[in-house]
Amino acid sequence: MPARHLIIGGGTAGINAIRTIREEEGDKSQITLVSAERPYSRMVLPYYLDRSISESHVFTATASVLAGWQVVTHLGRRATTLDVKANTCTIDDGTTIEYDDCLIATGSSAVRAPVPGADGSGVHSFWTMEQARGVIAQVQPGTHVVMVGAGFISFTILNSILALGAKLTIVEIAPRILPRMVDDTGAQLVQQWLEKHGVTVRTGSAVTAVEDARGKKRLRFKSGGDIVADVVIMATGIRTNLEWLKDSGVKINRGIVVDDQLRSNVQNVYAAGDVAEGKDMVTGEGAVHAIEPTAQEHGRVVGANMAGKSVRYRGSLLANIVEVCHLDCASFGAWEDAKAQAISGLRKDRPAYRKFLFQGDRMTGAIILGPSSDIWTTNDVGMLKGLVQSRVALGPWKTHLEKNPFDIKPAYIGARATGTLLPETVLGRPSKAPGDTPVAV
Amino acid sequence: MAILTALPTRVLKLHPTRCTGCLRCEIACSYAQTGTFQPAKSVIRVSPFEGHTSYAPYTCTQCAEGWCMTACPVGAITINAAGAKDVVDDKCVGCKLCTIACPYGTMFYDTDTRKAFKCNLCGGDPACADACPTAAITYEDVATADWLADFANERGLPLLSGAMDGAR
Repeated sequence: MPARHLIIGGGTAGINAIRTIREEEGDKSQITLVSAERPYSRMVLPYYLDRSISESHVFTATASVLAGWQVVTHLGRRATTLDVKANTCTIDDGTTIEYDDCLIATGSSAVRAPVPGADGSGVHSFWTMEQARGVIAQVQPGTHVVMVGAGFISFTILNSILALGAKLTIVEIAPRILPRMVDDTGAQLVQQWLEKHGVTVRTGSAVTAVEDARGKKRLRFKSGGDIVADVVIMATGIRTNLEWLKDSGVKINRGIVVDDQLRSNVQNVYAAGDVAEGKDMVTGEGAVHAIEPTAQEHGRVVGANMAGKSVRYRGSLLANIVEVCHLDCASFGAWEDAKAQAISGLRKDRPAYRKFLFQGDRMTGAIILGPSSDIWTTNDVGMLKGLVQSRVALGPWKTHLEKNPFDIKPAYIGARATGTLLPETVLGRPSKAPGDTPVAV
Repeated sequence: MAILTALPTRVLKLHPTRCTGCLRCEIACSYAQTGTFQPAKSVIRVSPFEGHTSYAPYTCTQCAEGWCMTACPVGAITINAAGAKDVVDDKCVGCKLCTIACPYGTMFYDTDTRKAFKCNLCGGDPACADACPTAAITYEDVATADWLADFANERGLPLLSGAMDGAR
């Protein structure tokens, strides 16, 4: 009997797993997908919000793609229980699905601040397609939008909201913005940049209630100073969708604990993406990296392993980038490590900042901020990723970076990062192009 | 269906010791890629070494992983007939994930079009190699490699260690 693979979750991790299974073993296995939503990319929702792309552009694996891959789908359905002894999964319409191996890739959900009125009308999250539609319907030129939470999610949609002609206020409970993406210096630079672009930023402000105010919304704060808004977007964090596995016997710490083949404590149950607690490639420790690149790499590694390969994952690299009014902000690896040696460079005359963290002569983390119009910013973003990913010994080139934090390229080339990285592939083979997955139809 | 998995059979080989820093490759590249003579839009970049006494071009290696291609959330990077990873403009939304995925720093972002772009080997007839007057860039049937590290160390390290001070 052909192997029966069950994929639970149709996000980036799940779809990459399916595609890789088909790349590796053609159509000889059965694949079943259970997904609460039709597969789409959350990464591109901000471009749908500002209407630069159509809704159809957001969907990744369409019905015809899934049919081409010969996937049996249960869309609009959620898994409710997993029986790891019987190798079955029950979903919310009562169907029970048998599997030989299974991937849990149920992702995460947006959470709102636990205050009265947070679930009221006119208060939105921006995480799913449905939520995106809700925000799009409300934001017009002149609309006053208040975003609660100054983290990555807020910042990905900030440009879109401004592009729609809305007036924007960002409030954050922490003393500074982007607490999980850049350090204090970087955050200060971004905040000044935002204010220069007409965005009001209030840090250290705890929302205590959201009330209706004659067709608008009134936000109340611990420190006083109400704000009246047309639309409130709560971007106050995400939570992994794992409640349904509570009594399954699958070991969960911060996420599902996985080994270097991304198997859970149950050998034929894999986890990937936001729900997986796998190895951080820099620290070697277990970590949940709820970011797109990790979901993608996890998905591919699981797909290859489900197809009978024995691929060991080197661990995921924490990597984020966001563009704020044409200012690129990116960070990599252990950028927050207080024990590491740090080198930084800050330009007084223009918004440019770099910080590199080292263990000995190897770069373990980096932060970079610079104008998107500056070609070198984009190139340096990639080279810093390469230096952290490869952790090549910089030797004397570290001195060059200490003296010239804005001149990364000679050190990157001199430390032989290119030659170190060229043999590296996630699956131990050259990657295939999207859309070129072989399936005999 | 043709399965586009093969690495390119020909790649850009860089010969840094032949580079004079004339930037003709950048001008030719920008023209081939965007129709304008604008080195700022070139995806091959010439950089100075040894305190601006040496120069070397640098561009995409067309690596086996294709970090940019696998990272793209909308499948906007594919493999063209020359075996090069290539951005499909209609699909790219400009999210910049490819710029943090490529560990070589060879992804570019056009602030005018709000799209990513990169070396696509001009579909098999690279303009940079044609334009280079000293054959510092050749299009050859060889495996891709790190063409610049030895050069950078030979030219850069003496400056860095201060060994050049006495010569000044």
